[in-house]
Amino acid sequence: MSTNITETTIETKKDAEGKNKTKIYCTFCPSKMLNAGTASLINMEFALPYIHSKGEGKGNQSEAILNYWLVEDMYTFENIGVSHTVGNIKYLACADCERGPVGWHDLSSKKSYIALCRVKHE
Amino acid sequence: MAKKTYDLLFKLLLIGDSGVGKTCILFRFSDDAFSTTFISTIGIDFKIKTVELRGKKIKLQIWDTAGQERFHTITTSYYRGAMGIMLVYDITNEKTFENIVKWLRNIDEHANEDVEKMILGNKSDMEEKRVVSTEKGEAIAREHGIRFMETSAKANINIDRAFSELAEAILDKTHGKEPQDAADRVTVNIPRERNSNRCC
Ligand SMILES: Nc1nc2c(ncn2[C@@H]2O[C@H](COP(=O)(O)OP(=O)(O)OP(=O)(O)O)[C@@H](O)[C@H]2O)c(=O)[nH]1
Ligand SMILES: [Mg+2]
Ligand SMILES: [Zn+2]
Repeated sequence: MSTNITETTIETKKDAEGKNKTKIYCTFCPSKMLNAGTASLINMEFALPYIHSKGEGKGNQSEAILNYWLVEDMYTFENIGVSHTVGNIKYLACADCERGPVGWHDLSSKKSYIALCRVKHE
Repeated sequence: MAKKTYDLLFKLLLIGDSGVGKTCILFRFSDDAFSTTFISTIGIDFKIKTVELRGKKIKLQIWDTAGQERFHTITTSYYRGAMGIMLVYDITNEKTFENIVKWLRNIDEHANEDVEKMILGNKSDMEEKRVVSTEKGEAIAREHGIRFMETSAKANINIDRAFSELAEAILDKTHGKEPQDAADRVTVNIPRERNSNRCC
């Protein structure tokens, strides 16, 4: 089960170098996460928990996401919220409304990943 | 080579007794409506925020810490590298105000010598429960030569202002050199521009 975007939609979001063509925003508020051309499109499967947890007992409900923007340096983000550590990662959320996760940060590689389907491109 | 997309990076820390509102200051929408979201359950460790001050693009990395006694060794480890510290008390709780002195001593022991400090009297929305007057807050700040502001995380009063003031104070210190220059906003930021944005 996944809500991944189709290939054609993805094509329109990247430039010739595979970078994000537009700025990237939170889908719930006007907070800007990334400037254009600062992240690279990658294909990788990683399951992210749903933004709204479904109450007790169903703690780790998550969805498989296949398309991510790779951000090499965390300080590239214009605005981002970073969760407490869970295992070897930190989840990423909007810095202004805290809605998330919109992606994750790998503590060993120091790279961050933003799910295309959880952010707004414009 | 990665391009550097900012001029400066300031690491800021929120410290103070348990319950004064540090997490609420960092975590904007802590009201019940969102308390069921995944992120609110795990909690936010820090935020990166970009602000523009005097023509410079500045990244603020703002860290939350735990006020409880048993976390103090961890909290202390956060001091390293911090350039600014928000020292928070609760205007409705005398004890948290008295402990400001203790926190200041802690900062002296563990933080960088030139760390920029600011005292925040939080929960200013609870006027009817106030036990620490604004004058008392101002007095202790003056005594230690620190900036002071009353805030409300709940009503979103002075939160952004407090962070920009602290950031400006750090900017004055690192780039203005003489503090008097601060009045002279237009001229301070000309030197030392690294043009690393425009690489190859
Ligand atoms: N009325 C009012 N309540 C506040 C304000 N800020 C925080 N609170 C409340 O104070 C309580 C403690 O807030 P926290 O942000 O968890 O306190 P903390 O400083 O992070 O505490 P520790 O994590 O234990 O160190 C919560 O119930 C908040 O709702 C404020 O500005 N006004
Ligand atoms: Mg807290
Ligand atoms: Zn948002």
